[in-house]
Amino acid sequence: MSSLARIQPPADAGDDPVNGSALGHQPALLAAFNRLYATLWSHGELDHSAKEIARLRNARITNCVFCRNARFSQAREEGLTEDKVDFITDAFEESPLDERAKLIIRYADVFLKDPRSLAAKPELREQMQSVFTPAQIVELTAALALFMGFSKIAVSVGGMPDSMPTMIVPTPA
Amino acid sequence: MSWVLGAGEHSFAELMAVRPNLAAGVAAFSDLLWCAPGIDPVTLELCRLRVAQLHGARAALAERRPEAFAAGLTEERIARLADYGRDPGFSARERACLELSELFVMDPSAIDDACFVAVRDALGEPGTVALLEALAVFDGFSRAQVMLDASPAAEALA
Repeated sequence: MSSLARIQPPADAGDDPVNGSALGHQPALLAAFNRLYATLWSHGELDHSAKEIARLRNARITNCVFCRNARFSQAREEGLTEDKVDFITDAFEESPLDERAKLIIRYADVFLKDPRSLAAKPELREQMQSVFTPAQIVELTAALALFMGFSKIAVSVGGMPDSMPTMIVPTPA
Repeated sequence: MSWVLGAGEHSFAELMAVRPNLAAGVAAFSDLLWCAPGIDPVTLELCRLRVAQLHGARAALAERRPEAFAAGLTEERIARLADYGRDPGFSARERACLELSELFVMDPSAIDDACFVAVRDALGEPGTVALLEALAVFDGFSRAQVMLDASPAAEALA
């Protein structure tokens, strides 16, 4: 990853981590993304903790420092505390996370690493169908698409620090 | 047959329709990409299809964006897309964007300065940001189509 940002934010972009980023070069797209992200997070059928687990799993695999260190407030209020977040690692299967959280991570890992392999995992599909409604599965899958895509933008542009403190930020609404 | 809805084949639009407000938001964002300043629809469509090829996303591969064809893209060029690196029918600008697209899908941390600067010099900063946002959508939702086993839409096959 480049240590220097390959695109500087617009001069008047401000210091918000998203609105003040290079994305500010396309203000109409940025506004549409913010509306979409608010819909995903605050007008959905899947609980915040489930989406936050998927978001953080993506952040750790895609290695987006900003995404890795942000925590959305609503998921925290729902009980996704830092001690639980610490278990969203490659050793999650042996962790005390509940089975639903582990299922989300398994599904996220297939999405992030090899989506075509899901066709050969009937057990995972059946587990997903038994725990989530079709609307929740679609929402989780679309959420992963956005989490991964926008994390990859941050990695591509570069300029992220090696580490950051953990920050609780308002859930997009 | 999509495992999510069961009973028959389902297009990605039909699958997304179980979350209508989310589907509308994704469509609104995606549609804006095709008129974003700094990048032309032909380059964008070539990148979309290359990403779909890498994922084997049959629904995305069956689609065609009308903006790109109105701007001169042909099926003959699409048929040669996988060989873009050696085919003189692809411009330096298109090749730079396609190379960035492939690395974005496979490993964005492997995008080196030369690759990125070639795109930035060709598109400018706003155009590069538009391309990156488009790649986020193309990569993310090609994967989503594969995960949900979406079938090509009927209109794409007509």
